[in-house]
Amino acid sequence: MLEVSLKKTLGKFTLQSSFTADKGVLGILGASGCGKSMTLKCISGLQTPDEGSIRLNGALLFSSESKVNIPSRERNIGYVFQNYALFPHLTVRQNIAYGMKHFEKSQRAQKVTHMIEKMQLKGLEHHYPSQLSGGQQQRTALARTLITEPDLLFLDEPFSALDSHIKYLLEKELMKIIKENFNGIVLLVTHNIEEAYRICDQIMIMDQGLNLQLGPKEDIINKPINLTTARITGCKNILDVSILEEHKDYLLLKSNALIFKAANNQIPLSDSMLAGIRAHHLRLYSEKSHKDNVFDCEIMEKIEGVFSTTIIVNCGGNVLQLEIAKASCPHISESNTNKIKLHIPMKHVFLMENDL
Amino acid sequence: MNNVNLFPLYLSFRVAFTATIISFLFGLPIAYFLSRGHGKAVDFVDTLTNLPVVLPPTVLGYYLLVLLGRQSPIGAFLENNFNTRIVFTPTGAIIAATVVAIPYLIKASKTAFLEINQDYLNAARLLGRGELNIFFTVVMPIAWRGIVAGLTMSFARALGDFGTTLMVSGSIPNKTMTMPIAIYDALQAGNKEMANLLVLIMTSIAIIVLFTINQLERKMKKG
Repeated sequence: MLEVSLKKTLGKFTLQSSFTADKGVLGILGASGCGKSMTLKCISGLQTPDEGSIRLNGALLFSSESKVNIPSRERNIGYVFQNYALFPHLTVRQNIAYGMKHFEKSQRAQKVTHMIEKMQLKGLEHHYPSQLSGGQQQRTALARTLITEPDLLFLDEPFSALDSHIKYLLEKELMKIIKENFNGIVLLVTHNIEEAYRICDQIMIMDQGLNLQLGPKEDIINKPINLTTARITGCKNILDVSILEEHKDYLLLKSNALIFKAANNQIPLSDSMLAGIRAHHLRLYSEKSHKDNVFDCEIMEKIEGVFSTTIIVNCGGNVLQLEIAKASCPHISESNTNKIKLHIPMKHVFLMENDL
Repeated sequence: MNNVNLFPLYLSFRVAFTATIISFLFGLPIAYFLSRGHGKAVDFVDTLTNLPVVLPPTVLGYYLLVLLGRQSPIGAFLENNFNTRIVFTPTGAIIAATVVAIPYLIKASKTAFLEINQDYLNAARLLGRGELNIFFTVVMPIAWRGIVAGLTMSFARALGDFGTTLMVSGSIPNKTMTMPIAIYDALQAGNKEMANLLVLIMTSIAIIVLFTINQLERKMKKG
């Protein structure tokens, strides 16, 4: 268990973050410069927080109050850097063996050989990092860290240095290796919601040095607590709403001329609420399945993607964006009509605070 | 070849080698300090170490005379306690050459240190190594080409110094007369044979130095 509560000011930027993490993968999601990497640097001791405390499995790593500040080298934290930071003057084997000082000499060679085999780096032992592919560099960096048997593993944007066509493949491979060889807390920093959702169990949203929301990834997607979180998680449709009626299982909402129902999630309501619905949750009307929440809309723009079509519509004075898989309705991209019927699934509408 | 006296050649090399070694021993820690630190104190040291490049050699020599001459506290102390003098001795020439040469080593090493990606150092820290250990296992192996380039440049500069050396140690034949001074002296005395030889040697060394630095810089870029 990792317990973090810290504050750090650097110039005009202030990082203020407190959270706990348990076994499994916690993704820290946010735009660049929001303090994600700084959080990792503070926990690992590469930066010293101004205030707060950091506790890992009960042991105090840092506390401004009792003046504890364990140096990085004694924190036993594994850190895979964004560009891997493999030592350019050392071979793969030497890189992997670099952190093994505290192991007995007789064990080292055997352990390194074993790790090289496990990470599928056999045959590359005597290569230098500059001679390796992106994936091989990544595995070397991971091997160098895992061999020290860390209590905590940090992955700082581990896939951002890779070409997009191999990214997905390496992502799967890397996470498989980690699951097989590491049974502890993993903190992954990323700015990509898709990546975070695929890899992580829990997601923490950060913005401008603050952590806004932490929870299971499904909750983060389905129930963002405020506008910033909704935006960071990629919600395209955000409506200013007033609440007309409050029922036990649904709320009646009004935005401009659009009056629609939303599932009542029992969250505290205030006067300035926003409603959000994700582009891929909006549906085209079909007689069979949809009865409620169906509206006539005017198509403003159609944007053809490779696998999906994005349609921007005017729905009762609100501009909404919907994303439809091409395979599911091929007719929409071909037809010339500019009128469609839109279905807003009640359970996918979420209410949130306007924090901006 | 009767008119050729090779003492200046020998002295110059001795002075330049010693000055380079002293520059390395003192310059490297200063360069590391400058590469790591920020703030006014660091800027001040940085300016101070670059001053010898900009100051006229005679001005530099004057300062050294004021600092180390027989009237100065340091000069008087050395003379009274150890019976050593700095002014008008080969030691003086070494000190002059060091002061002139050390900025080049500091500048090149500082640049080499600054170019090291901080993540290498952070990775090493998290892998359990202490700062001194990291300096020898990561910093030096990555920065050595830049440092060697600086050493070569310092050596060339120490070998070629004229003004400062002349001010501090004079031009006593067979005692403190280094090559650049000997060239001037030979030309004054009409000894063309001597002047030509020394000029040829100095030029060859300059070419070798520049070639070496070029090679190192090319390899540095390759990584």
